[in-house]
Amino acid sequence: MARHVSRRETLAGVGIAALSAGCLDRTRNIAGRDRSSQLTLEINAPPADRDPNAIRIARHLAENLNAVGIDARINTLGLTDLRRKVLINHNFDVYVGQFREAEPFDPDAMYAFTHSQFVAESGWQNPFGFTDINGTDELLASQRRTGGDERREAVEDLQRTLCELQPFTVVAFPDPLTAVREDRFENWTNRQPLSVGGLLGVERVDAGDGDADGTGTESGDGTAAGETTAGDDETTAGDNETTAGDDETTAGDNETTANGLIGDNPFTDSGDEEGDSATLRLVTTDERITQNWNPIAAEYRRYGTFTSLLYDRLALVEDGEIIPWLAAGWERVGDSGIEVSLRDVDWHDGKPVTAEDVAFTYEFLQDTSMGTTESPVPTPTFRGRVSAVDEATAVDEITVRLTLDGVNDAVGVRALQVPILPKHIWEERTDVATIAGFEVDAETTEAVVTNNEDPIGSGPVRFVEASPEESVAFERNPDHFLVRADDGDDSTGDAMDPLAGIPERFRGKPAFDRLEIEVMGSDIAAVQAVGDGFADATVSNLGPDAVPRIGREADARLVTGRSGGFYHVGYNTRRAPLSNPRFRGVLASLIDKRSLVDIAFDGYAEAAASPLAAAPEWVPSDLQWGDGETDPVHPFVGEPGSLDAETARDRLREAGYRFDEEGRLIAPGA
Amino acid sequence: MSPLLSVVSSLALWVGSALLVASVAIIRPRRLYGLWNDLRDRLWEIRKPLAALVVVLIASAIGRSSLQTVSELFGLQLTWAIYALEGNFVAWLQATFGSPQLTMYFSSVYVYGYVFLLAFPFLAYLALPRTTTVKRLLVAYALNYAIGLVLYTVVFAYGPRNVMPDMVTSLLFTHNPEFMALTGEVNEPTNVFPSLHTSLSVTVGTFAVLTRREYPLWTPLAAWLAASVVIATMYLGIHWLTDVIGGTALALGAVSLSYRLVDEE
Repeated sequence: MARHVSRRETLAGVGIAALSAGCLDRTRNIAGRDRSSQLTLEINAPPADRDPNAIRIARHLAENLNAVGIDARINTLGLTDLRRKVLINHNFDVYVGQFREAEPFDPDAMYAFTHSQFVAESGWQNPFGFTDINGTDELLASQRRTGGDERREAVEDLQRTLCELQPFTVVAFPDPLTAVREDRFENWTNRQPLSVGGLLGVERVDAGDGDADGTGTESGDGTAAGETTAGDDETTAGDNETTAGDDETTAGDNETTANGLIGDNPFTDSGDEEGDSATLRLVTTDERITQNWNPIAAEYRRYGTFTSLLYDRLALVEDGEIIPWLAAGWERVGDSGIEVSLRDVDWHDGKPVTAEDVAFTYEFLQDTSMGTTESPVPTPTFRGRVSAVDEATAVDEITVRLTLDGVNDAVGVRALQVPILPKHIWEERTDVATIAGFEVDAETTEAVVTNNEDPIGSGPVRFVEASPEESVAFERNPDHFLVRADDGDDSTGDAMDPLAGIPERFRGKPAFDRLEIEVMGSDIAAVQAVGDGFADATVSNLGPDAVPRIGREADARLVTGRSGGFYHVGYNTRRAPLSNPRFRGVLASLIDKRSLVDIAFDGYAEAAASPLAAAPEWVPSDLQWGDGETDPVHPFVGEPGSLDAETARDRLREAGYRFDEEGRLIAPGA
Repeated sequence: MSPLLSVVSSLALWVGSALLVASVAIIRPRRLYGLWNDLRDRLWEIRKPLAALVVVLIASAIGRSSLQTVSELFGLQLTWAIYALEGNFVAWLQATFGSPQLTMYFSSVYVYGYVFLLAFPFLAYLALPRTTTVKRLLVAYALNYAIGLVLYTVVFAYGPRNVMPDMVTSLLFTHNPEFMALTGEVNEPTNVFPSLHTSLSVTVGTFAVLTRREYPLWTPLAAWLAASVVIATMYLGIHWLTDVIGGTALALGAVSLSYRLVDEE
């Protein structure tokens, strides 16, 4: 305090002091310095209504930052604004968010997330501006090109490096909690109830309806349904039988437990409610799917589940199982080529999906301007995946050759998982984005900013209608290969199975005719809607206030699985002092992950140190999070639940930071 | 029945009954008869302020979502400033006074009491022989909405329940999630400063005090309800104290402006 006063007096006396030349120099020496002030950090997080967990992490961190003398301010922002601020504009100090992978993922997902080659790009690639050229970059490159133990070692070292340098702090892997009711749809997986596979695997409860449903909307004729089922290849027919058998036992169970169900079933069978009963109704607190259907828009996609239902990918990976999807199959050609043959599929507008479309997609995602701008404008999502593909060329109508950038098989398979876009629509979107004809930013193309109204994909659902911020409706695509091939007559059956490689659970799916997603005000309202029978399942995250409610609702059940979407605290390493890995390390040790799992997630999460913790086979033992222990690299400073602020300050002092008399951390000159 | 429809119909039922009872008890049958006979003339007389209010309401309904976008893009992000200003006041309020009975009381006041509080004075002042007061009331309502809309656009901030869910429970929606269907229709979660619930309630309360000679019974009732709504906005975790102070200032400004705009006949 005394020092402040004396400086102020000096400044006030400038007029008089300036009279002497010697004093003028001294004045300049002092007044020319920036005044020291307390370090302020802005923590960006979505509000509780949108994400009940993230704001709790932000609050926890802010509280502990304030305790050590850093002025932490929480800035609550809508999901889209938050993403725009962090991923597009890079105009943030700290953010709390979730990784974009819904399921446990391959280590190569870290490539785009942390490689320094992406610092200047906007989107899901290196939003931290993190540059570790000799460590992280090399390990990322090497895990791409090597296999076996060599890759394992690179991946382990990569995790050690990321844990040490902390461009972001992993907090916890949340369990993907979902409240479901099973009186209309069942077979919700316990792994990923709301992934593409999970939604396609859902079955209608009443077997009778399920069969009629299987014929698609175009042929509602009862006898035709019987014929096709009979004419189907044996395995499908056999499976249908077991499914029916299963349903019978379920119905038998219901008789004793829930009579209401039995009462409902004849009612729904009786005809006029048919349309309604085939609608899968989901509720979410995330309004973005009602506004934008652009599969590559970084601001609007959470996991991209619904856009994946609109836009097929060449391959679908479910629980580690690689399922050829839009691709009927592929084989490696030479050292670095993959030749992919496509299924016979149409876009939602009736045009056929060709190898040309696939080749276009890969080129387009590398540069959405297709060479028309000064420098390429790459896609803001899937960047790591397409960067593994050097070249894509159409060999013939249904064969496309991808030339890989010397990557291993695992990375190659990831490269097959990008949404395939119709060329005839997206090639019109390569121009620089404009507002009312004016170019605002030459770095953006129409493709990146379009809301993609009326999306035309090739996926198992088609877009129907939406009312922004309220609801969106999709319908079953009767021409999708899952449906069409399953209904097709037996002549195709023996020559070449059009559904080769597709697991039984997806054949003839989806089981719903219509998929409606409604936006709710909060996680609690979403759970309530499921409990009251207005919806079949919740999509968005559920907070600690909503989870216990599921147990209280008679018909709602909690389904949970494993998620790849880890919550993390991301730092803008372009800004001092967040540019200093030591400083970030101390911030990491201010986060009491164990208590957060209990408080912010009601126990439904796994604390973790490594971003790969969802795939524990990759995590070296020194980075594993033992039972209830503390972080192996940056242990929390203090006892669980109570911060030891003085020790934390000592750590900061050791790292070279200074505090004023009131214990406030002085911002180092920017 | 959808949650929204069931809330709206229950609201209509309860507020309708309350209006009926209050009209008989406070306005008195004699004046009600007078109002009935003279209704057309009086509505014609107040057509201008009534039209102004309707215009503001329609503009707000149509323009809200675009203004919301403007607010997101260009608004002052002041959540942190409000929190820095008042700290954990709302959390303290909940922690100190929170009880299931009070939650029930404040939840119903926030939804039912509020609608009644706004609707009744319109009837009561329309029943007065001279239309000055009802004109002023309508003008004050319109001013509240119009200025409120401008401030909503300028200030982008979330309420306590969204910012500190660890300390402030979203009591209204936790215990009555069906209300969310209703409030979601008329409000954005970022529209917290100023509290329009507060400003309109205080507006009605102020009018009730100013017209205590005409309706001595209404004055204490309105004051009680208005105070309850004001406390409810904070108790339920929806608004900050700052929003309430802002709302009160807006109300007093709107009332005094309405007196200036509408002269005594």
